[in-house]
Amino acid sequence: MNQLYKKKLKQSDLYKHGHFSFVVSLLLATILLVNSYQFTTQTWQLSLFLIAVAYLFVTIFQLVLNLRTRRDILKYGNIQRKTRLLTAFQLGSLLVGNVFTATYAFRALQDDGEIEYTFAYYMFLADFLIIAVTSFNLFKPYVTNYFIPVVFSLAVLLLLDVIVLIWLARSKSVSRKSTRLVRLLPYLFMVTSLTGNVFRFILGYSLLLKQGKRDPANSERWQLFWIKLTKRFTAMIGLLFVIFTFSLSITSFTTFVTRFAVANDYTVLLTEPSLVYPFGTDNFGRDVFSRIVFGARISLIIGMLTTLIPMIIGGFLGAISGFFHRSLDQAIMRVLDVLYAIPGILLAIAIIAAFGSSTLNLIIALSVGSIPMYARTMRANILMIAHLDFIEAARALGESEWKILFKHAIPNGFAPMIVRATLTIGTAVIATSSLSFLGLGVEPHVPEWGNVLRIGSQYLETEPYLAIFPGLAIILLVLSFNFLGDGLRDALDPKIN
Amino acid sequence: MKKLSLLFFVVMVLLLGCVNTESDVQGDEPEQTPDETNIERPTIEILGTSTGEDDLNILRDQLTNNGFEVELNIQPDYGSFTTQRDAGNYDLALSSWTTVTGNPDYAVRSLFTSDGDNSLFADQQADELVNLASTQLAEEYQETYKDLEQHIVFDQAYIAPLYISYKAQGVNDTIINEETVRLPKSRAAVWEAVDFNDASLRDSQPLLVHQAIGSLTSLDPIKGNDGSINTLNTNIYVRLVNLTDDDQVVSDGSLSLNHVIAEGNQDYYFLLRDDIYFAAIEEDGVVNTEDRVGAEDVQFSLNRAKDRNSVPDHRTYSLHESMDNIEIVSDLSELEDAVTINGDSVKEALEVGLDQDITELTTSKDDANNANGIYQAVKITTVNPFPQVLNYLAHQSAGIVSQQQVESVNTFDVEDYNVDEDIAYGDQRTVTEDSGFDNTLYASGPYILVSKNDYEAHFVKNPGYRAGTDGEPNINEVIVKFIQEPESALSALRNNEIHILNGVAENRYDTVIEDESLTLQQNESNGVTYLAFNMEGREVSTNVALRQAILHSINQDEFISFYQGNKMPAVSTVSPLVNTGLTLEADSERVQELLREAAE
Repeated sequence: MNQLYKKKLKQSDLYKHGHFSFVVSLLLATILLVNSYQFTTQTWQLSLFLIAVAYLFVTIFQLVLNLRTRRDILKYGNIQRKTRLLTAFQLGSLLVGNVFTATYAFRALQDDGEIEYTFAYYMFLADFLIIAVTSFNLFKPYVTNYFIPVVFSLAVLLLLDVIVLIWLARSKSVSRKSTRLVRLLPYLFMVTSLTGNVFRFILGYSLLLKQGKRDPANSERWQLFWIKLTKRFTAMIGLLFVIFTFSLSITSFTTFVTRFAVANDYTVLLTEPSLVYPFGTDNFGRDVFSRIVFGARISLIIGMLTTLIPMIIGGFLGAISGFFHRSLDQAIMRVLDVLYAIPGILLAIAIIAAFGSSTLNLIIALSVGSIPMYARTMRANILMIAHLDFIEAARALGESEWKILFKHAIPNGFAPMIVRATLTIGTAVIATSSLSFLGLGVEPHVPEWGNVLRIGSQYLETEPYLAIFPGLAIILLVLSFNFLGDGLRDALDPKIN
Repeated sequence: MKKLSLLFFVVMVLLLGCVNTESDVQGDEPEQTPDETNIERPTIEILGTSTGEDDLNILRDQLTNNGFEVELNIQPDYGSFTTQRDAGNYDLALSSWTTVTGNPDYAVRSLFTSDGDNSLFADQQADELVNLASTQLAEEYQETYKDLEQHIVFDQAYIAPLYISYKAQGVNDTIINEETVRLPKSRAAVWEAVDFNDASLRDSQPLLVHQAIGSLTSLDPIKGNDGSINTLNTNIYVRLVNLTDDDQVVSDGSLSLNHVIAEGNQDYYFLLRDDIYFAAIEEDGVVNTEDRVGAEDVQFSLNRAKDRNSVPDHRTYSLHESMDNIEIVSDLSELEDAVTINGDSVKEALEVGLDQDITELTTSKDDANNANGIYQAVKITTVNPFPQVLNYLAHQSAGIVSQQQVESVNTFDVEDYNVDEDIAYGDQRTVTEDSGFDNTLYASGPYILVSKNDYEAHFVKNPGYRAGTDGEPNINEVIVKFIQEPESALSALRNNEIHILNGVAENRYDTVIEDESLTLQQNESNGVTYLAFNMEGREVSTNVALRQAILHSINQDEFISFYQGNKMPAVSTVSPLVNTGLTLEADSERVQELLREAAE
């Protein structure tokens, strides 16, 4: 019996999640604590110190929860009700912005809950973070004209999130209930996901699948995929950050004042971080916080486009060279080999040097270099699939080659492309920032992360926060995409299926 | 649940109700964009290099606020900048000018006259004013330059001034005696004066200084006038006169013992010293050639300086064209008869402060012996009265070269000069390591360049330069490190890789001040940053009102506050040299008027 419980503890994703949350929280608490002490003046910075203490408290509480979970599993084989109730208090850690412990608390409260519950609490977290970040604008001298209605609507959505969350947590199975309101809910979710909160869309789609009278196999595959993905909490936190950034890029159109990010203000040059300027101001008196928020949009757009364009072009070239005649294969792949031989970043620099620096040129420059990589991936998949029975069967039925390629071969060989794209999107974000950092990307006044970092790098000794925050933003986004990519790879891997 | 929702709504409304929105605030500000007056926003293309990115950003901001559409054309280096400028792909070009001679004529002649070396525009009235001012002394030319500024900046708006820069220099005071390091306004670094804190290191340790550009135009003084050789040539060649730290012309540290302006501002007399000899590089290193630097070399050097055909690719003749005749004075009575402005004889004026009065003048430099009263004197006559000629004589391009050596090296015919075959005097290949050419330099100044590579240039002191006197160079060896990047250069200074860094960036002053081993020296400079309008084939070329609208959009105070007070307001390139009393004020309302006028 004891051996069985030990094995159970080892296999418990929740326990692993708890442990991870504890370590990360401890790390954050230590960083905050060290930073709140001014070594030169030997004084404590009160506000930062208080946050550090709060983090420390959350960390200790997490340790207690972990120990209790461990004991419960070893003793009873499952987590006891008392421990679960205690976990509810950890939800409060959201108030200091600790998403690691907060996700743990949500998960622990309803460990065997349905996948919709998981979507709901991630949806809630994304909305919460958006509102929290947006509300920093309240400290500014003025806000945008749309600020009040938009924040108000976001708050209403948050309230709706809470209600849905409670409803999903209470009802064990969604599908049984079928009131008129519940039937309309998915559509409401899909419409309101226009704020950029993709979790809401996923939840809506998931509910729709369950209600619908469509192919139940579809619904099952969808469920299975998400169950596997949600098991990896790092992937989910990565997805949370990506969706948060995406949503912020959309809502910032109406909630952030563009002037603070691009117009020079010579009265507030190089000020330290404060509530009005959470990340300080740069050498032109622009608010670095607003610049990073606006920069997210550019980094994401360029990152996505420079992944999508080569994925489509490269994917198409790879597919036809893998599917059709060998001579075509040779012709395409050898040309792409030539392109592959040129280092991507050098090719980008050459293109920009020749055609001038602009956002469009930057996208083209970064896209061209990664076409061969996608082509190779796609070709390998198609080569493998082309000899499988279902392709032969389609041929036997007399379908046209193009139809077989697009309808049967490509959809079945697409999963590795998605994984590859997610993993390289991070590289694309870095490449964009690198080129801007070198002065070759977008124009210098445009708030792109590389540009923001470049100004910061000039003040690394005197005003380090100017470089730390944009640097962190880049690191977090790239890390998030990488975690997500790893998770997707596992979830989409047919071998594990 | 209902109560909770109600509470939530009340809190939200209360919280959001007391926030200012953008339109609330904008009600207070004057409407700046001319949209309501239905004027199309003019599009202005500004050309600059990436080093001027900060200035371009401030300009973009100011012009945008005043109702312009701004496009930036930022080029990575000066080469591609000039290519774009020559192609005419700009409305405004961010440019800078440094008056290295310290006199106002140089500051205006090159840029603002129709036939100047770097002429920006052709305007007859400007030509006349520049020529008039050149004949005047300091008291009179102030008014003339004021008229010139009024005409070219305010009335015609050919240029739009931004600011005057300061000069800043970081010195490692734990190694170098900071008081011996000069930071002159115009003149290049004075190496011979620099000394270590510990004088015993003079022979064992080199002085480490810095220069951004490592490719040297030419070590023949008349064949270059740029940042790559100004400092080097200034220290390799002696001149007839020098500039003080605040741009006064003096004989200190020069080949002349004294100099005098004769009445009429057309004749200039120089009494030469006899204790400077040429140095040369031979196999064993530097040697004193025992060949004295004398009046014959002065005559030769200045005659070739003013003759545009004396060498291929002569880059400085326009500075010296004002000289008509250079002669060696042989007759002592000529000095006795000539009169200075004060009414004294030139001879008396030249003898001021000398141990031994002039008893005899000689035309042969080998016969000079100052201790016995045998001197050499040189008389320079200008075409027109032109007192500022002395500033040009203090410029590195008026450095004295050896007649014998230059004639023996430059054996080619100037018209048939082939850059691949003929090695002219001062060609950098003759000093480059492993180039296979012999070092043919003859240095009349305190130091001589032994060799250079891509990373550093190696100098040793001239053993025949005022040996045994106060003027003898202190430190035996000087190494110039070529570090292009300003940040790397500053790091090099902080890591003791160099001892002196000329040109600390404004945002780095604090770094130098806070470093315990460094001292920051500051002085005003003659560097002016301005915008040059494209005067050919653009809307701005013909539309004066549009140019004036841009001019009045510029707020120099914002530039100064961006640079944390380390810039000064400017009106034109003469502003650092002559106080004309004019100022440029930013005026948004005037800009709107001018824009309406420009659109008509």
